[in-house]
Amino acid sequence: MRQIIVKRLAMLVLVLFGVTLTTFLLTHVIPGDPARMMVGQRASEETLQEVRRQLGLDQPVWVQYFAYMGGLVKGDFGNSIRTQQPVIDDLVKFFPATLELALAAFFIALVIGIPLGILAAVKKDTGWDHTSRFFSIAGISTPVFWSGLVGILVFYKILGLLPSSGRIDLTVPPPDTITGLYLLDSLLTGNWTAFANSLWHLILPACTLAFAQLATVTRQVRASMLEVLSQDYIRTALANGIHGPVLLFRYALRNALIPTITVVGLSFGSLLGGAVVTETIFSWPGMGKYVVDSIAFLDFPAIMGFTFLISLGYVLINLIVDLTYYALDPQIKE
Amino acid sequence: MKRRNSRFFPSLLLVLSLLAAACNSTPANQSQEQTSTPQETAQTPAQTNTLSTPADTLIVAINADQGTLDPAVTFDNGAWKITYYAYERLVEYDGASTEVKPGLAKEWKVSEDGLTWTFTLEEGHKFADGTPVTAEAVKFTFERTLKIKKGPSDVYSVIKEVRVDSPNTVSFVLSQNFPPFLSTLAANYGSIVNPKVMEHEVDGDLGQSYLAEHTMGSGPYQLDEWRKGEYIKLTTNPHSSIKPSIQTVYFRIVPDATSQRLQLEQGEIDIAEGIPREQLKAVKELPNVEVLQYPSLSVDYVYVNSSKGHPALQNPKVRQALSYAIDYTALAEAVQEGYATQMRGPIPKGLWGHDETAFQYSRDVEKAKALLAEAGVSDLKINLLYSDNKAWWETEALALQSFFAEIGVTLELKKVAYATSREMMDAGQFDLALGVWSPDFGDPYMFMNYWFDSNNFGLAGNRAFYKNDKVDELVRKAAQINDQAEREKLYREAQKIVIEEAPYLYLYQMDFILPISKSVKGFVYNPMLEGIYNLAEMSK
Repeated sequence: MRQIIVKRLAMLVLVLFGVTLTTFLLTHVIPGDPARMMVGQRASEETLQEVRRQLGLDQPVWVQYFAYMGGLVKGDFGNSIRTQQPVIDDLVKFFPATLELALAAFFIALVIGIPLGILAAVKKDTGWDHTSRFFSIAGISTPVFWSGLVGILVFYKILGLLPSSGRIDLTVPPPDTITGLYLLDSLLTGNWTAFANSLWHLILPACTLAFAQLATVTRQVRASMLEVLSQDYIRTALANGIHGPVLLFRYALRNALIPTITVVGLSFGSLLGGAVVTETIFSWPGMGKYVVDSIAFLDFPAIMGFTFLISLGYVLINLIVDLTYYALDPQIKE
Repeated sequence: MKRRNSRFFPSLLLVLSLLAAACNSTPANQSQEQTSTPQETAQTPAQTNTLSTPADTLIVAINADQGTLDPAVTFDNGAWKITYYAYERLVEYDGASTEVKPGLAKEWKVSEDGLTWTFTLEEGHKFADGTPVTAEAVKFTFERTLKIKKGPSDVYSVIKEVRVDSPNTVSFVLSQNFPPFLSTLAANYGSIVNPKVMEHEVDGDLGQSYLAEHTMGSGPYQLDEWRKGEYIKLTTNPHSSIKPSIQTVYFRIVPDATSQRLQLEQGEIDIAEGIPREQLKAVKELPNVEVLQYPSLSVDYVYVNSSKGHPALQNPKVRQALSYAIDYTALAEAVQEGYATQMRGPIPKGLWGHDETAFQYSRDVEKAKALLAEAGVSDLKINLLYSDNKAWWETEALALQSFFAEIGVTLELKKVAYATSREMMDAGQFDLALGVWSPDFGDPYMFMNYWFDSNNFGLAGNRAFYKNDKVDELVRKAAQINDQAEREKLYREAQKIVIEEAPYLYLYQMDFILPISKSVKGFVYNPMLEGIYNLAEMSK
């Protein structure tokens, strides 16, 4: 077990190296000049070159790359050209918001998706199955900007139940920062006002995001359950008088979950990338919006920092997924 | 079993179509039920949207978070809206006009040779921390800007020395006579910064990383809180002599236009900046909202390469023909949904020096054809260079193509990447090219000298590569003398010539549109301060 983890972490370093190199080269090849963005259209050539010099952009690409990597191994992601702040500070500010949204959406997708998938498998070809299939397809086909806006229209405008934007009301101070996740922090500090308010703000964006993820989860669980339920050992169990919830959960589900975990892990990774559209619609101050703004500004350090973080996230998630396999099925070996 | 299932689909389809219908219905029907309750409690989150904001708080929805707020660094108009009223400047724009009035300086004079400007400061102005504003602070500010050497330092490159004559008198010694200098002092880059910023200096950055996220000025407001990606909050400066009615301002970041619109409708915000033109019709119908519309100083125009392009374009008659071929009203309608004002000469309406009596081209196909015949030109084929820098340029290019086709001119559309287009423009490798322009400070110099002085060929400003000795003489003289009335006369004369010679096709000025709650009073639009709210004079 430990050997596997070590091996995977070593691969992590290689992956990160490859990702940073590729991203760095790509961002420097795209036409466009962040220095020009900073000084404006009519700045003199002299000022432009001065700013380029200040930002280190006048060096050849490989020199810039080594300078960047040199800083990176020390934990210095450089300064954002747009905000003039250390990139790491910016990322730390925005990442928890995306994490909270991703976790909430993930949780909702699992809590609704797994039972729905099981139901669809068990009641195959009945009304339940068709409904869940319809629901899944709707979720995966509906563009997020549509479902998000419809959600706002119905719950904010028409029903007046939920707020339309932000993580918390303007007038409510957020909870003291421990993890950056408002729900968790307000629970830990006993701040019920902040808890209720943030929860209220979280519901709509999380559900919108979950709706799109639900399809994947439901379909996967259904397919895996069907496969597992047709296995011989299930028939044996049935013959032995085991049925109902015990059969489903103790015998079938554990095996059915293995492919599900893979699929779900990947989709969580992409959620972490910052569901940009959801964050834009709900004015959720997360990383998705941050990185889009950075790309528009050609803010290299910010783009690099974000890519690095996401790659790190993906590799770690994959590691966790693989470790979960062992927990579910000790027979699986590398 | 099958029969039971077949009813599911129709009913689900019905539900979905009801949702779609709800989407499309006009908002006006549903808004009546909402009652206004003050936005106080957080325990009942459901109430957050049935309210009108308190009378001493203004909430503005903006599209995106800001970059740096440092006046010596930022060239982004967006940042101005946050900082403009946190700082004061030597002179300020006067109400709705682009002329200047006393600000921190109560009076000023300029030497005979135009090289020395002396300002006398008004007593009693204090920075937000209580430190008085002195001549030292003014000297510090400009020296800092020049040392930092970013965008704004270019605007002040004409300053040779800043001298403190007495605690409340400061002099600027320029390297050359530059009458627009006064106007540059009213822009955001002229904001006077508290010298105490040096206490926050890090690694010799002259306080740049501190001022990127804080304000240290003497204006009626100061930056109180900035929650990145969420909002920026301004509160009043207790040391300012101005006591505004609006005590708190939130610039709330709402990137989605539809969300902004819904929030404006619900009364959750007072001003919405990001609503695109296509949605304005619906917004105009809202009972609690007013949509303000004014011509801005941002112009959209076409550079006609008058010396390095197609030889036919060297003949003013051909350029006039092109000017007569365009249906300006239809163009504004097609490209800007009608939210544009046709240009009348290069100096836009709203800027002093604009001539309401100047000649304005209008569509006259026969005249255009006649002019082409006079010039001995037939079957003219020219290209139009543009990029995707502006979303509407595609439509504009196609419109121009069809207008010119009617007078027998074939326009070849050449779309390239933004960076490439700039290179080609600088080298004069085009016949026609689309462009936009807006002034850095409120002086016709920004248009007349940049666009027409033959010393400015290329990206610097004269993108038509136009050379006319008389025009050169007029605009250079206007840049030398300090008498505004004289300058206006010279610019007027030059304008007559350049309208007639048409080195540019003067298309339109974009209109500034602002959906604003009817409860907000006192907003005055200044064309040089687009998107900046005169917060100190506004109330609800």
